Amino acid sequence: PGTGGSVVVPYGHVIGNEKWRGSEVAQRLQGKVRLIFEDGLGLVDFHLSNRTCILLISEADLVAGDEFKRRLVRFRNASSLRGIVIVEKTQISDQYYLGVQKLVVLELGMVLLPVANQREASQLIIQLVSFGVREQSRDHGANPFVRKQRAQLMEPAVLQTVQHIPGVGKTKALLLLQHFGSIHRLCNTSIEELEEVVGQTVAQQIHTF
Amino acid sequence: LARVSRGPAEQGPSLCVLADSREICSGPEVISCLRAEHGLRVQVCPLGTSDYVVSNRLAVDRLLQSELQSPGNRNKLSQRLQRLQGSFERIFVIVEADRVRPGETSRFFQRTQHYDGVLSALIQAGIRILFSSCQEETAALLKDLALVEHRKDAAIQVPTEPEGHRRDILNFYLSIPNLSYGAALNLCHSLGSVAAVANSSVPALAAGARLGRPQAEELHRFLRHDFDLQLLPGPLPAKGK
Repeated sequence: PGTGGSVVVPYGHVIGNEKWRGSEVAQRLQGKVRLIFEDGLGLVDFHLSNRTCILLISEADLVAGDEFKRRLVRFRNASSLRGIVIVEKTQISDQYYLGVQKLVVLELGMVLLPVANQREASQLIIQLVSFGVREQSRDHGANPFVRKQRAQLMEPAVLQTVQHIPGVGKTKALLLLQHFGSIHRLCNTSIEELEEVVGQTVAQQIHTF
Repeated sequence: LARVSRGPAEQGPSLCVLADSREICSGPEVISCLRAEHGLRVQVCPLGTSDYVVSNRLAVDRLLQSELQSPGNRNKLSQRLQRLQGSFERIFVIVEADRVRPGETSRFFQRTQHYDGVLSALIQAGIRILFSSCQEETAALLKDLALVEHRKDAAIQVPTEPEGHRRDILNFYLSIPNLSYGAALNLCHSLGSVAAVANSSVPALAAGARLGRPQAEELHRFLRHDFDLQLLPGPLPAKGK
């Protein structure tokens, strides 16, 4: 199991890679989330759900060279999971950050989040997990950034748009729409028909527009 | 000169970014850096919805880290990003570190639960996040995004400053809900007349305005929407005035 295929994560749990046992992140996670350690997670450090996992890049990884890049690329090529990369951005590793961001976000299309240390990493993981839990238990409207599809009346907007035709104000726009119904029909109306509604000059203006 | 020969000029002169007029005040160095350092064409226009538009389908909002820290901003931010999702296929947020004023001892950024929560929600909503430490870095990120989009054949490639009659037609298109500035520009240049646009099929609109399918469908519906006076909210203007 080199790459970390799908792992079944019980609701509200986090499955951590054995190598993090006893680390600061793990200690801080314990008690806040139900953390289970498993061997053979491969490239993945933590599984947050059946779809989402975390790859943790430490300050040391960044300084040591390009090994972590190979790991990210291997993960991206092999896994269909949504990978969130958490990177330790400290005074020492700061200089590498822009390069890492370019690779992870712009080239690999993954999510990258900087933290200052393992304590912040654990806080962030807790938020990601609790957000996921809330998201599943409530309806999808819980996320303030997910666009709600609601039917909106088009009438006021159509009226606004028609008023952008030169020579047409609110009154004429209303008249035109009452007679011709839609912008599409308005565009396919002859000057003569327009003249019956708005008069010669404006009819000409509309037609040339 | 070295910049010109190495920079995006190599990719052709077409690399163009639209910037919202408010960014002249809030991000002057971003704009000047894009122009001077990276050689991009920056067109400042009243975008309204987003801070930057770097391609036909990608909008960027520039946020200060402190804005994500305070819960008071949450509603404003969510309204803004939801509106953006109505007109763009891809949305990026650039989280920029607040500027430390000279003489001020650098305040340490206190990471709050709220901040982590907002990041989680953004990720969940499919909004991409980039982090920048200053306006110059933000400019470099915008350039990178524009380059990637150019590679994917989504770059803005029409003239961005229509004049005269074209200007009127652009304003007409801009008044259509959920139609982005870039899409309105594309409509101005690709399909000829307003009548041609009104008579276009959904695929023709998608191709002409360089829109995704759902947005093209929405535009098509809008143009053919049958107006019903009864559904107009609010009092009607007095007749014969």
